[in-house]
Amino acid sequence: MATQAAFMPGTEAAKRQSVLWSWLTTVDHKRIGILYGTSAFIFFLIGGIEAVIMRLQLARPDNTLVSAQTFNELFTMHGTTMIFLAVMPLSASFFNYMIPLMIGARDVAFPRLNALSYWIFLAGALFLNSSWLLGMAPDGGWFGYANLSSDQFSPAMNIDFWMLGLQILGFSSMLAGFNFIVTIINMRAPGMTLMRMPVFIWMSFVTQFLLVLAFPAITVGLILLMFDRFFGTLFYMPSAGGDPLLWQHLFWIFGHPEVYILILPAMGIVSEVLPTFARKPLFGAPFVIFSGITIGFLGFGVWSHHMFAVGMGPVADSAFSIATMLIAVPTGVKILNWIATLWGGSLRFKTPLYFSLGFIAMFTMGGLSGVMHASPPVDLQQTDSYFVVAHFHYVLFGGSIFGLFSGIYYWWPKINGRLLDERLGLWHFWLMLIGFNVTFFPQHFLGLIGMPRRIYTYAPDLGWNFWNMVSTIGALIIVLSFLIFIVNVIKTIRSGTVAGPDPWDGRTLEWSIPSPPPVYNFAIEPVVHDRDEFWLQKYGDGHGGKPATRPRAATAQDIAAIHMPAPSYWPILLALAVAFMISGLLVSMYQVIAGGLLTLIFMYKFAMEHHRPAPGHGH
Amino acid sequence: MAESHAAAVAHSGGHASIRTYINVAVALTILTTLEVASLYIPGIPNWLLVTALIVMAGLKFFLVVGFFMHLRYDSSVMRALFVGPLFIAILIILALMALFSAFILLPHHVL
Amino acid sequence: MADHAVAAHAVHDPNIGNTGLDHRKMGMWIFLGSDCMFFGSLIGTYLSYKGKSLSGPGPHDVFNIPLTSYSAALLLASSLFMVLALARLQEHRVKAAALWLFLTAAAGLHFVLNQVYEFTTFALHEGLRLSTNLFGSTFFVLTGFHGAHVTGGVLWLTILMVLALRGRLDHRDYTKVEIAGLYWHFVDIVWIAIFAVIYLIP
Repeated sequence: MATQAAFMPGTEAAKRQSVLWSWLTTVDHKRIGILYGTSAFIFFLIGGIEAVIMRLQLARPDNTLVSAQTFNELFTMHGTTMIFLAVMPLSASFFNYMIPLMIGARDVAFPRLNALSYWIFLAGALFLNSSWLLGMAPDGGWFGYANLSSDQFSPAMNIDFWMLGLQILGFSSMLAGFNFIVTIINMRAPGMTLMRMPVFIWMSFVTQFLLVLAFPAITVGLILLMFDRFFGTLFYMPSAGGDPLLWQHLFWIFGHPEVYILILPAMGIVSEVLPTFARKPLFGAPFVIFSGITIGFLGFGVWSHHMFAVGMGPVADSAFSIATMLIAVPTGVKILNWIATLWGGSLRFKTPLYFSLGFIAMFTMGGLSGVMHASPPVDLQQTDSYFVVAHFHYVLFGGSIFGLFSGIYYWWPKINGRLLDERLGLWHFWLMLIGFNVTFFPQHFLGLIGMPRRIYTYAPDLGWNFWNMVSTIGALIIVLSFLIFIVNVIKTIRSGTVAGPDPWDGRTLEWSIPSPPPVYNFAIEPVVHDRDEFWLQKYGDGHGGKPATRPRAATAQDIAAIHMPAPSYWPILLALAVAFMISGLLVSMYQVIAGGLLTLIFMYKFAMEHHRPAPGHGH
Repeated sequence: MAESHAAAVAHSGGHASIRTYINVAVALTILTTLEVASLYIPGIPNWLLVTALIVMAGLKFFLVVGFFMHLRYDSSVMRALFVGPLFIAILIILALMALFSAFILLPHHVL
Repeated sequence: MADHAVAAHAVHDPNIGNTGLDHRKMGMWIFLGSDCMFFGSLIGTYLSYKGKSLSGPGPHDVFNIPLTSYSAALLLASSLFMVLALARLQEHRVKAAALWLFLTAAAGLHFVLNQVYEFTTFALHEGLRLSTNLFGSTFFVLTGFHGAHVTGGVLWLTILMVLALRGRLDHRDYTKVEIAGLYWHFVDIVWIAIFAVIYLIP
């Protein structure tokens, strides 16, 4: 059991220590959600700074702000950070905070494993970024193509930080995936059949499967790379008959499901926000759900559309091209259903709705350029050009980030108990929308007039100067929009309007409990009759069928009967041991062995923490 | 105790007996013997050998999963959680082999 | 779904969900599903590179089929021992369960020792190492990670056996032993696949 340091009770030091300790040993999914969200936002800012430096370098031809080597490190770390340390953990913060609330549960299935997942994430993120401090940030692109990544062509440790950092982050994601799959299947409130789950839960559910099934492929790819770099194997060595394409296949078998991991949670958020602010149920919810499942499944079959230029041959090219075009269908179905949800609705234009509308528009644009890439002959011109950079920023920023901000503004009052400021929210939205489009729309043009990706500068007579300058100005507008968001947070976190349990007249269970929720979430376990259970409780079904019925008020006895899991320090200790072991690969074999032993011992302690003591021992 | 009740609940779907386990073990032994023996059949065509080995390995696989791992008797949720990923893994193996022209090297397999 | 009474709950088992299924068992099955993708990627790599080594020994130059068949039989037998251990545990016969756990772990350890013997023979007498050719790289990494899984399983089972002998494990811990069993059987079925596809198929 977790113990507390013996400080004089009542002193400031004791209070400070116990607050810090409570956060380090928390197994409360809500706190873990806050930890993920805060960390994600900090890394998002770091990734943003990396982007701004790149844009400043590219604003003018023949610029000398940063060297080519530094630029390589910047685009590598920007991509890796935004994907693994910003968007994924932001999604994870919503999984953590909202999944139990929306399924009517008091906790997740494995609270300590959940905490472990966060601490391993943080260890991986810090390990990866420590490379900046050592002057050897990864420089092989976020996709680390072989055999540039071999120790022949990348002899220094830059690639090792990337390779090992991603392994650590992968463990974190997989552990979280196992936890949420079991939670969603096994801990739904009585009456909540699978088809009565909110659509955000469904999209999160599909995402968890993508996480646990896609990461093993990159785990293997990275293991093969590690063996090549450290132990002389020949997996990616052309001179021995090895094929660098093996890396590309393994990477993209992971990498394509990964982009659905990045977008599905945001789609789930939009599927909650639109009905709430249109005061209408999600149109065609079963179709949206099945489309999400189809996207998840098909997403495993399209990976080589990232490889149309490597010479796979017409059969492979055609197969992946057809599969990629097919996947546009369920995506389109969702977009039409979202629009149909708004049609005829009683729209309340609040910040969450604006961001969701922005998501629909921007993601659709990104999807259109994506469908163009699905054609191999067209892609042969577009690949490795700024056209692709434009495409994926439209879907990942215009899509995922806008969707996640919609969720932030939507669920912030539930998490914090206070509303964010509406006016500042709208300033944030409009500046971000304008800045985003000014930054990335011109990149379509730059791609089509020949500007390649991943170049640190360009000659002045190529015709690229104007749009690069425009794009950089857009980036600075984006920065301004984020500053406004930060001001909004600072301004309202302690003194914003009190939200109450249900500031938006919501439809789902999380709005039926206080803001912020008590540690046990629900004093009385809800019973569910509908996807929009809370709406049903407030208003009935509107057809004279089910009347409005709220559950009875909780009593002190109800609350006293609730048992929540105890805090534990084993998650953070085990995460430290794992990080120590893996980083040992860059230091010495003794550290790896010591770390490995510690990992095994701490795994045992973790597993035995709640096991019965030996007979004859008191407790 | 809650756990033994839970164990009973979890096994309410049926249970293999020790007899069944022994039978499965015998079947596994026979299959393994046949597998190894088929390597030594003189003049066996390649396609037949490969097919036979895959079929026998597949049978062993399903015997262990179905009976020893109890999946035959368990909830369909558990089945789905394993069989789905297994299916995707097999597809990935086949796709990788096709992309690396592994099938062209094996006679009598047309892509 | 049954409507649960919403008044004060009876104390319920936190490991059992509203479906009546155990969280840990469910978690182990999806973990094994994920591990299928892991071994699938490794086996796919092996099969994609099969026959493409530029030099050095090939599989049929070095494989010791009799030894490997014996190893395969060991793992299959260990799976039988495992289900017997579980059966004894359910019958409240803890000492018998501990014995079968010991036999399971011992068979697994024997398997690992056979692997070590095989690896050292290849490296020292057949000129086949990780860096020799594609076959060496793919073979050692695939079977090495399988062996690492087996070793982890042997450790896990040994710990369970010791706990049982010390009176800290009994029929109430059926699910904990069951999920160790699921992991163990999985390691066995991966070997069924590897044995057929790597060792036997020409």
